[in-house]
Amino acid sequence: MNTVEDIFSVLEEKFGAKRDTQDKWGVAAIVSAAYLHNAALFLKESAAIKFEMLVDIAGIDYLTYPNHEGPRFAVSYAFKSMSVPGARIRLKVLVGEADLKVPTISDLFANANWYEREVFDQFGIVFTGHPDLRRLLNHVEFVGHPLRKDYPAQKRQWLSTNDYLLPALEKRLEDLGYRVVQRSKEVGTNDNEYLEGSIKE
Amino acid sequence: MTAEADKPNIITASLDFLVNWGRTNSLWPFPYGTACCAIEFMSTEVGRYDLSRIGSEYVRFTPRQSDVLLVAGTITYKQAPILKRIYEQMAEPRWVIAMGACACSGGFYDCYCTVPGIDHIIPVDVYIGGCPSRPEAFFDAMFDLQKKIKDESYMKQRAERVKDQLEMIKAKTAEAKAAAKDFAREKVVDIKDFMTSKEQELVKKAQFWKE
Repeated sequence: MNTVEDIFSVLEEKFGAKRDTQDKWGVAAIVSAAYLHNAALFLKESAAIKFEMLVDIAGIDYLTYPNHEGPRFAVSYAFKSMSVPGARIRLKVLVGEADLKVPTISDLFANANWYEREVFDQFGIVFTGHPDLRRLLNHVEFVGHPLRKDYPAQKRQWLSTNDYLLPALEKRLEDLGYRVVQRSKEVGTNDNEYLEGSIKE
Repeated sequence: MTAEADKPNIITASLDFLVNWGRTNSLWPFPYGTACCAIEFMSTEVGRYDLSRIGSEYVRFTPRQSDVLLVAGTITYKQAPILKRIYEQMAEPRWVIAMGACACSGGFYDCYCTVPGIDHIIPVDVYIGGCPSRPEAFFDAMFDLQKKIKDESYMKQRAERVKDQLEMIKAKTAEAKAAAKDFAREKVVDIKDFMTSKEQELVKKAQFWKE
């Protein structure tokens, strides 16, 4: 009989994980950043209950958290099993302010790509090895990371021009082996043209 | 039939009245829907409430063919330049309706990402409250807009619009007149000189023959 508890004991043995005592449901384990990728691979492919689905990646800022000791940030990964319905596990990686780096798991779970971009955007945590780590929700001219507790929530930042995504798109397509045969006049890559009609302050 | 059509058919009306009548009864909206207000607009547009009763027959999905920009929903800072650009693409005359609390004031999104009212970006003619607004409120706003349009004067706006041009033309005309005057004065001086020299020559000749 394999239960989630068994998997926790394996995680503790192999990957040096610790049970998160603060977790209300008792399904969270704290792993170090170095073991994260292997732990995720283990959960996905070789665990007794396979956790094939990555439900969410969440960033946490403990700056104003009461009675908190330890690193300021954490990244929480929620996994769900498709074969055994209801089986869930969360992995938590603690990230100190000095070294905001976590290895990416976007090579294991495709949806982790955008989750990690979001966490990078909102908390400034850098995912090493990520193929395309750009801001996801906020605009390109945004300075700072708004979900950090020390970002003033009402501080607004204007965007002067809309994101011009065509060059990036073309580059991505060219990397895939496509090539630009012809551009229509409307989408000319003249910088001045698309800057017209934008908000300038 | 041809005889009927050949007869002179004339209606006399002031131009402002005629233009406003046309504009008032064919307001084509451009729905810039980003949130639940857009859903409410859909129910305003179709069957039960039927916006086409007041002439807003078509919802045009291009800014170049529409008269009313209907901003229905939350506008974020990432979207602000896009909205601004859409507004600038619309041809005159154009009006803007801010529908719902979010478009009017940012609503309850008092945060880093939401524009606190679209009047920070573009001028707004009519505001509608509500979260989201009822279709009745939308109709009320359309009637308000129609009233506003009926008050507008096409000729005055036109005069405003061509004021710069008119001033430029006046200035150019004055310049040209001055240049022509200068030219004429020079000519006159030249001719006078020519005449005096001729006279002197004649006098000399007469003296020569006397002698």
